[in-house]
Amino acid sequence: MNVRRRQFLKAAAVSAAVVPLLRTRARAQAKPIRIGYTMSATGPYAVGAGITQAPNYTLWQDQVNAQGGLAVKGEGRRMIEFVSIDDRSEIETAVRFYEKLATDDKVDLLLPPWGSAMNFAIAPVAGKYGYPMIGPTAISGKFKELALPYFYTMLVQPAPQMQAVAAMLKDARDQGKIKKVAVAYVNDLFGIELNAATGPAFRAAGLDVVDTKSYPLGAKDLSPVLKGFKDAGADAFVGLTYPPDNILVTSQAKEVDWNPAVFFTGVGTAFPFYRDRFKGAEGVMGIAGWNPKVKYAGAKEYFDAHVRKHQKEPDRWASAFAYASLQILERCVGEAGLDRPKIKAMLDATEFQTVAGPIKFAKGENVATPGIVGQWQKNEFELVWPKAAATGAAVVPKPAWA
Amino acid sequence: MAQGGGDRSRGGAQAGLGVTLSPTLLLDVVIGGFTTGGIYALVALGLNLQYGLMRVLNVAHGEFLMLGAYVTFSLHTGWGVNPLLTLLITGPTAFAVGLALHRLLYAPLLAGEAAESLESRSLLLSFGLMFVLQNAALLIWSADLKGYSYLAIPLRWLGTVFPANRVLAAAIALALGVAFYVYLRYSLTGKAVRALMQEPEGAQLVGIQTSRIHGLCFGAGLAMSAVTGSLVSMLFELTPFMGLPYTVTALVVVILGGLGNMVGCLMAGLLLGLVETAGVYLASSDIRLISSYAVLSLILVLKPSGLFGR
Amino acid sequence: MAAKVASAALGAALLVAPHLLPTYYRSLALAILADVALAVSWAFFSGPTRYLSLATGAFFGAGAYTTAVVMARLPWPLPVVVAAAVAAAMALLVGTLALRLRGPYFAIFTFGLAELAKHTLIWYETGVTGTVGRLLLNPPDAVTLYYTVLGVAAVAVAIAVWLPRGRWGIALVGIGADEERAETLGIDTTRIKITVFALSAAVMGAVGGAMAPRWTYLDPQVFNPLVSFQTVIMALLGGATTVIGPVLGAVFLGLLSETLLLQFRYAYMLSLGLVLIAVVLLMPFGLAGLRRRRA
Repeated sequence: MNVRRRQFLKAAAVSAAVVPLLRTRARAQAKPIRIGYTMSATGPYAVGAGITQAPNYTLWQDQVNAQGGLAVKGEGRRMIEFVSIDDRSEIETAVRFYEKLATDDKVDLLLPPWGSAMNFAIAPVAGKYGYPMIGPTAISGKFKELALPYFYTMLVQPAPQMQAVAAMLKDARDQGKIKKVAVAYVNDLFGIELNAATGPAFRAAGLDVVDTKSYPLGAKDLSPVLKGFKDAGADAFVGLTYPPDNILVTSQAKEVDWNPAVFFTGVGTAFPFYRDRFKGAEGVMGIAGWNPKVKYAGAKEYFDAHVRKHQKEPDRWASAFAYASLQILERCVGEAGLDRPKIKAMLDATEFQTVAGPIKFAKGENVATPGIVGQWQKNEFELVWPKAAATGAAVVPKPAWA
Repeated sequence: MAQGGGDRSRGGAQAGLGVTLSPTLLLDVVIGGFTTGGIYALVALGLNLQYGLMRVLNVAHGEFLMLGAYVTFSLHTGWGVNPLLTLLITGPTAFAVGLALHRLLYAPLLAGEAAESLESRSLLLSFGLMFVLQNAALLIWSADLKGYSYLAIPLRWLGTVFPANRVLAAAIALALGVAFYVYLRYSLTGKAVRALMQEPEGAQLVGIQTSRIHGLCFGAGLAMSAVTGSLVSMLFELTPFMGLPYTVTALVVVILGGLGNMVGCLMAGLLLGLVETAGVYLASSDIRLISSYAVLSLILVLKPSGLFGR
Repeated sequence: MAAKVASAALGAALLVAPHLLPTYYRSLALAILADVALAVSWAFFSGPTRYLSLATGAFFGAGAYTTAVVMARLPWPLPVVVAAAVAAAMALLVGTLALRLRGPYFAIFTFGLAELAKHTLIWYETGVTGTVGRLLLNPPDAVTLYYTVLGVAAVAVAIAVWLPRGRWGIALVGIGADEERAETLGIDTTRIKITVFALSAAVMGAVGGAMAPRWTYLDPQVFNPLVSFQTVIMALLGGATTVIGPVLGAVFLGLLSETLLLQFRYAYMLSLGLVLIAVVLLMPFGLAGLRRRRA
């Protein structure tokens, strides 16, 4: 027997001896609830994941465990244990890991990864094994095409969102504050779907769209687009943008000396980072959903807890909905236990009250939240449209760039 | 002085999707192209040195740009240091790091056995380096988008508007590039470098120390990358993963200009910047990259060793 | 003789694996087989000819996207065949230009291909078809996908084994050693280079096509230059001049990545990078070279 073979056997023997030791130790406490997910910590999705989803998952775990664990119907409280990896923004890695979580680790519950592309790939896997999944960062009309019975989207979809923007612009136009609208959109699924919804919505509102331009993901210079809009006399800019191009388009608007009466940049405007980057970003509008001033129970407490734990504010849109999705899960487990079909039945039938307001799912889509437009005013992202959900009035025209 | 803006929708010839040609547009394209191109040229110069001289394919080149950008960001937002001053820190630091990396990693590779697969193995090595650097940046600065505003003031000139920071960044990049070229041309070390590039064996015969020159060039290459990063941080947002696209662009510029050819590299960078900017103005934005590759393909068809290569 | 028995045993094991392995391990095996196919097909062209191709990402992506487009209309496994054909066509088109370039120029040009393909596709999709990205509804089941990928990998290995034995195999080595001399000896280097390049691309396209149904939604981001790097790394790790080398490299890197990912949940990139650097510096001939050394 050569040296290497002996070493291997020794190692194997030691491992075999240790394993039973580990098992007996665990049996002494109540079994924790194992919740599995992947989160993009590296790669292009890491930025969004790190702002919107990851902090809320860990915040929720801390809060629930501080109370002794998640309340499970009929079982009392059990501590939450996360089983998670970095999916490297790679779809294949995520798919494989979710398969592992469902079949090998057999976790109790699954949470979604970040972003529409990931959710497209993971939702069928979760569905195959009967795990209900609530996605706070999955936006696309195509989810309906997939008709997944176990998948639920939280955020408002493109059509209602752009209808809200159209209504807000119509209101401004009726007051004589704007005349011509220009639209720019990013050339990927999200931008394209938003743009596809913009056409009919703006037409129905009777808005005069003087120009529509698209640009590729990762564009480094959008000043030609902006200069063109300025020259065409547009006084309302609607940017269907993502970070980092929403930041690029904002800084370049200032650089080409263009300050239209309405400046709307889609996603990422609701991030505190955006506000800080542009010294308050006074008057800039964007897709919104929430701020700490809304009248829903727990909103301010959630904001404070997030700041305390992560030393940064939650974003003013999907963050709150990510946290809300966990509140929903918590309530379902409390009332239906860990029985996954029962959880699904509850998700289909109940209206939930969360920090982001009432949430109700119809065929897997949240229909209780309207499209909302927000505007940075005095360092807070006020909800300015629709008036029913507003925390402040829209300021048009936008003040000068800081 | 006439305001070019108002005339745009009426006078002038039509081009592409309803954009009118006018002197202002031309100026827009040229200056815009030069600002983008200057940055491309500088980052490519660094890669050209390494690849042209040592046949070392360093795909982690863009990661040093990323690190330079982050260091400038931290110094500016944390200690209020003027971003332009930070170039004096990021440049020399990257140079020193380059010397060390060359000594530790690349010199053994170059000297060791299996030297024929040098290109492939240096690719592997730099890929590992890329992972390490990205992860390190991630751990230090996190994946959150970071950025700052510096000199985002509109400059009005000849009827059109340009941002001061972009123009300044491009001017510095070009100045550094030209200065480096002059150094290569007229200094003794520069001559040694060029000798090594043209005739590796002959150069050694006249007593030029290969390893030392390699180290210096590796360091200089990384320094240029880091300095470009410092300049870039004034214009764009930072993420730990911003490096790879710059590496890709640098590779394209190096090939366009001819491997080992410094002047070619400078001109190719500017050309690429111009083509991209023109593409954005005259047609849809996606054409931008397609046009860059179309130009690259055309040139390579006509001259497989690059625009200025021998 | 021992090698033949071992190969047969391995082949049998791979054939029954999907019915015996739990889901996750089957997926892992599938992913590693895909990597094997990529690494082997890269190596049977780039190994002997010394043309460092970084086009893998472009061909893989082309195959994946093609499958996404045609899967609804064709019975499985025809989409994979179409994917291979599209990738091969792409290689023929690009190859006539790219293979005129030498050494570093070829490498860089092929590297840009993935980006070029992506932007061309985005431009076409948004301009002409008005949408971007395709949904893959009703994908084939996991076992079928496994056998498809296994089949592609087997084809790749078969080509890698038989190619060197014929005249073309010798010609390829000749091209790698001294292309001009090979031409003066009367070898039609252009025809051979382009054909084998296209063959390699066909396998890569097939791999992409076979994996695509697992992801449900594909958009032009599937053209990923990192795939090009990873393939080269697997082949080099194992040793690009042998048949077994790329296989070893793919298996090693696949298992190592997965282990590191599961162990070091968030510092995984760092550890992988360090391992790669160590391997390059300590094992100049790759894993296959280790065996040679001992002998």
